[in-house]
Amino acid sequence: MSLHRNCNGIARRDFIQLGLGGALGMGLCDLFRLRALAGETGAIRPAAKNVNCIMIWLDGGPSHYESFDPKPDAPAEIRGTFKSIPTSVPGVHFSEPVPELAKAFDKFTVIRSICHKDPNHGGGNHYMMTGSPTPVPVGCGAFVTFHPSFGSMVSYDRGVRGGLPAYMAMPSNTRSGGPNFLGGQNAPFIIDGAPNSKNFQVNDVVLPREISEEHARSRRDLRAALDRMERFNDKLVEDPSVVFDQFYQQGFDLVSSAKAQAAFDINREDEKVRERYGRNDFGQRLLMARRLVEVGVSWVTINYGGWDDHRNLFETYKGDRLKQLDRGLSALLTDLDERGLLANTLVVALGEFGRTPKINKDAGRDHWPHAMSVLMAGAGIPGGQIVGATDAKGYNAAENVYRPEDFAASLYTKMGIDPRQSLHTTTGRPVPLVNDGRLIKELFV
Amino acid sequence: MKPLFHLAALLGVFSRFAIAGGEAPRDELVAALIAEPARIQIRAGEQGNVLITARLKDGFDTDATDTATFEVGTPDLLKMETGGTLRAIKAGEGHLTALFAGQRIEIPVEIAAATTEPPSFTRDVLPILSKAGCNAGACHAKPDGQNGFHLTVFSFDPKSDYDEIVKHARGRRVFPAAPEESLLLLKATLALPHEGGERFDKKSDAYNALVAWIRNGMTFHAEKEPALESLSVLPAERRYRKGARQRLLVHAHYADGSVRDVTALAGFVSNDKEIARVTEEGAVTVGKVSGQAVIVARFMGLVGDSRLIVPAESLLPESQYAGLPVNNFIDELAYSHFKQLGLFPSANCSDAEFLRRASLDTIGALPGEQEARAFLNDTDPAKREKAVDRLLAHPFYADYWANKWADLLRPNPDRAGIKSVYLLDQWLRESFRANKPYDQFVREIVQTEGNTHRFGPAVIYRDRREPADLTTMFSQLFLGVRLDCAKCHHHPNEKWGQEDFYQMAAFFGTVKQKGAGISAPISAGNETFYFAPGTTVKHPVTGEVMTPKPPDGLAVKTDSDPRHELANWMTDEKNPFFARAVANRIWAVFFGRGIVDPVDDFRISNPPSNPALLDALASELIKQKYDLKMLMRTILRSRLYQLSTIPNEFNRADTRNFSRAYRRRLPAEVLADAIADATGVPDSFPGMPAGSRAMQAWTYKIESQTMDAFGRPNSSSDCPCERDLRPSIVQSLHLTNSRSLQSKLANTEADSRVQRLVTSPLSSEEVVSSLYLACYSRTPSAEELGISVAAFNTPGATRRSAIEDLLWALLNSAEFVFNH
Repeated sequence: MSLHRNCNGIARRDFIQLGLGGALGMGLCDLFRLRALAGETGAIRPAAKNVNCIMIWLDGGPSHYESFDPKPDAPAEIRGTFKSIPTSVPGVHFSEPVPELAKAFDKFTVIRSICHKDPNHGGGNHYMMTGSPTPVPVGCGAFVTFHPSFGSMVSYDRGVRGGLPAYMAMPSNTRSGGPNFLGGQNAPFIIDGAPNSKNFQVNDVVLPREISEEHARSRRDLRAALDRMERFNDKLVEDPSVVFDQFYQQGFDLVSSAKAQAAFDINREDEKVRERYGRNDFGQRLLMARRLVEVGVSWVTINYGGWDDHRNLFETYKGDRLKQLDRGLSALLTDLDERGLLANTLVVALGEFGRTPKINKDAGRDHWPHAMSVLMAGAGIPGGQIVGATDAKGYNAAENVYRPEDFAASLYTKMGIDPRQSLHTTTGRPVPLVNDGRLIKELFV
Repeated sequence: MKPLFHLAALLGVFSRFAIAGGEAPRDELVAALIAEPARIQIRAGEQGNVLITARLKDGFDTDATDTATFEVGTPDLLKMETGGTLRAIKAGEGHLTALFAGQRIEIPVEIAAATTEPPSFTRDVLPILSKAGCNAGACHAKPDGQNGFHLTVFSFDPKSDYDEIVKHARGRRVFPAAPEESLLLLKATLALPHEGGERFDKKSDAYNALVAWIRNGMTFHAEKEPALESLSVLPAERRYRKGARQRLLVHAHYADGSVRDVTALAGFVSNDKEIARVTEEGAVTVGKVSGQAVIVARFMGLVGDSRLIVPAESLLPESQYAGLPVNNFIDELAYSHFKQLGLFPSANCSDAEFLRRASLDTIGALPGEQEARAFLNDTDPAKREKAVDRLLAHPFYADYWANKWADLLRPNPDRAGIKSVYLLDQWLRESFRANKPYDQFVREIVQTEGNTHRFGPAVIYRDRREPADLTTMFSQLFLGVRLDCAKCHHHPNEKWGQEDFYQMAAFFGTVKQKGAGISAPISAGNETFYFAPGTTVKHPVTGEVMTPKPPDGLAVKTDSDPRHELANWMTDEKNPFFARAVANRIWAVFFGRGIVDPVDDFRISNPPSNPALLDALASELIKQKYDLKMLMRTILRSRLYQLSTIPNEFNRADTRNFSRAYRRRLPAEVLADAIADATGVPDSFPGMPAGSRAMQAWTYKIESQTMDAFGRPNSSSDCPCERDLRPSIVQSLHLTNSRSLQSKLANTEADSRVQRLVTSPLSSEEVVSSLYLACYSRTPSAEELGISVAAFNTPGATRRSAIEDLLWALLNSAEFVFNH
């Protein structure tokens, strides 16, 4: 909790302070509140700035029934064809397609009671990826951002460490994963490509394959000798090339760091470990994510889409998409735990909403924001815990109901970011990072 | 408010000490004393203020209010409190005398009888609640209030605030039988726990005023209460030495001609804290940086300003400016501005710098190698002017400028539909290809009628579906005025209120649409927009139907589409916003920042750095009938544009007056094209014809890691966001290590620059020159040539590897990435 940061960080420039910040946006009232908040939340996030997060984004909206919230006693047209299976925690059942996660349940919490009201992919993505609903209705195919994403906010909060961009996404950005008014510096660094293929190489953070380290060094020397534009280190001059140099230095440090370079090279991973995550691109991205947070990347999103099963849901869920998730995610949690990394790695898996109780005529389920399951692990989150519940047939979150804002507030708090702070848009308007989010207290026991 | 109070008291003591200890002018330097106001008008029982200024013989004024001695000539009528603050005791003609540095000045004080009107909520209570911060967005004006008590943001709805205090919470917030026991006061004085702390104490005027209001029947608005008309701040403008201090006075002017000293109730803010800071009480401390600043005072939705000029320690002699070349009016106005601030312009930039800069700024592309070579060798003294004309006629011009406007106008294709958005893109490019006069360009957008699948600008109406959305966008883009705040509450630092906002919105109330609306998932349908009289826009608080009226303009009564009247008003040569806004926008492209900056935020608290220059540019544009190329030609030809980026000892700290050129990182599209041109390997963009340039990409969805890394705007992001031109770690990593750059260097097709040079008969020296011309538009220095040629002879190097490495090194240097 840093008061200074809150007062200062909002004022990107003088004009913004003047536009709204100043005495009006941030009066004594806020100062008192912040002081109070520091006392209140300080206790529950001792080492939060060291917490990194891996978010598995299941774009399309996975079914809560066929994963973490089976309803074996519901009528057949709701229950579906899968059986429920026991988990490693007595009395708690998951659905048949996630046997490995059921076994690893002692490592994570499932929240069954987060819900909202936006049944469109575009709007739902935005709500669950930023904690903020869209201010206008947004269609299903839409990619929209009206508010900074979690990853961008974390990047804004932490900045570049050791030349590493704080926010990375694989293999592409999510729909609402952008920085919005936090600016391009906080957009995700995208690692595309197929990490399960033999010649996979992370782009940009490692040397191109044909350039040896020695060659790179001689290029760098040549550049150093030829980059002769005069620099003005006097702060008053505001010479942007001075900042440019700092980033180049960080970039070179990253490329020369044996530790970072080893992390980017997934081929150095023990074959058995690679096998454990599953030899497919999704599994290897999870493994890559572990390697990235290990060297200090703050936020890694894995965009794993295709969950919009309006038809043939039951056949599909027997297939690779779910098998890869079940195997990869349970392997990730186990691996993090075995390496002692789970304590400071937050793992979150979710989509934008759950799916309709009634199975439709095409043996699928449709969009359903009134109930969904969210998996959360690490960073002090208890294992083997179910938070909240849906009603008997899985229609609505019914017990201990939480909103996306509460999810966002909890996520930020775990990351050491004050969810009650105000940000300022490019026009100087103050915007709460999270609008009145309550902490999901079960995550902070 | 206790902690602040103590701090202020402490500062006050400190400041008096400082002035007495070191800064007080020697008596013989003081030419005269000035009192402001010269005659004080006040009511019995009220507090008033006078400013005493010592006019010095060296041309500076210094605030002597705190150091002067006051003698009250009529002690039965008034008494002095602290500094220049006095309190009237009873009605009559009083006077007091200020003494300073052996001089004296007499000040008449006209004391009217205490008012018989009961205190009113609007006149007496709301200002106190505002000053105490109760109705700030983070306190009781949060959407759900705070702890059950909800006020409107900056009291945009006084009636609702009144009801909240007097009627809601079962009336327990006020207790007329024993006003001191009112919850409102118990909380504000911290007699009861209050999360917001103590806002004022029981001895304060604020407290007494609230008690009096509760006791006297809690009037909402007095019967004959005159309307508040304007605000003035004293001193209105003054030159200061660094480190100087100044107290400000704020006067509210009412419709009945009365003036009220509202210094204690006003809020203050400085637009530049480096130049001057101001306390909540209106005490200014000038900093250590020279320049201009304004302090804005706010009171009940009105703003007033005090302008400060802080010259360098010593101004330069007039003769030093005498030899400076004047290419046109821009230079004249800039130099006279520099003289006032003690700035001196940097030297002329080199020919190579000029060509590269002008080309990047005008067409968004590097000069070609041949073009650079020819320009450098040209001995024609008018070659810069000729180059300007060539650039303005260049085919890339249209794409570059269309792209700038697309940043601002382009909707999210996911929302508004691909075809519709594409048509807007085409319309923009055609507009700039035809050099459409800017007034016509804006008129076509504002007056849009027609179908989104036929007429480009219609998609703007498709995307911004509500009159309020169009109001925000058009006022910001075309007037440079951010009305957005006033949609929900009074603009905190401007005069705009909800009335202004919804009167502007009323221009768009009669636009109707038919056809397929925004629809999931791709909004592929089309829509037609047309004028349909009868629909209206209402004020969200009063429910009143709004008559269209532009900001600071006249109400429009018409049976036809009022948007035509709006366009007429905008493009009228007397319009105070329109020409200035676009001239400033164009200026900012060429200089890296606006004369008003941010370019779309004109307001009293964000003044132009050189107002005369901005006025002249706007007049020029009007004279040229809104021909943007003519304005650009004038700008490009000015000496000011052609200054070096290298600072001198008189302008190192100048980052806003344009006494030197400012370095700017190349924008995403420009950089991507520059890499393609320098390597001779064009990008291939999915879905675009071969040979397309980054500048021609019409949506962010056209894949390009380079453009993403360098911050091209993403139209899925609802802002419209300013471009992020800051360097970042992703950029340096991308330029040094990306596969795309490496493959361009290694490309062996005949047109690739490396390949051409490898297979050419040129000597190493000639190859190096060719690379420098392509990247930097200049030839290498002897030293650079030496280092570069040595790269060919390093053990293990081949001609190819040396050229690849050299080009890599040049592209990764600041001289490439920046426009300088």
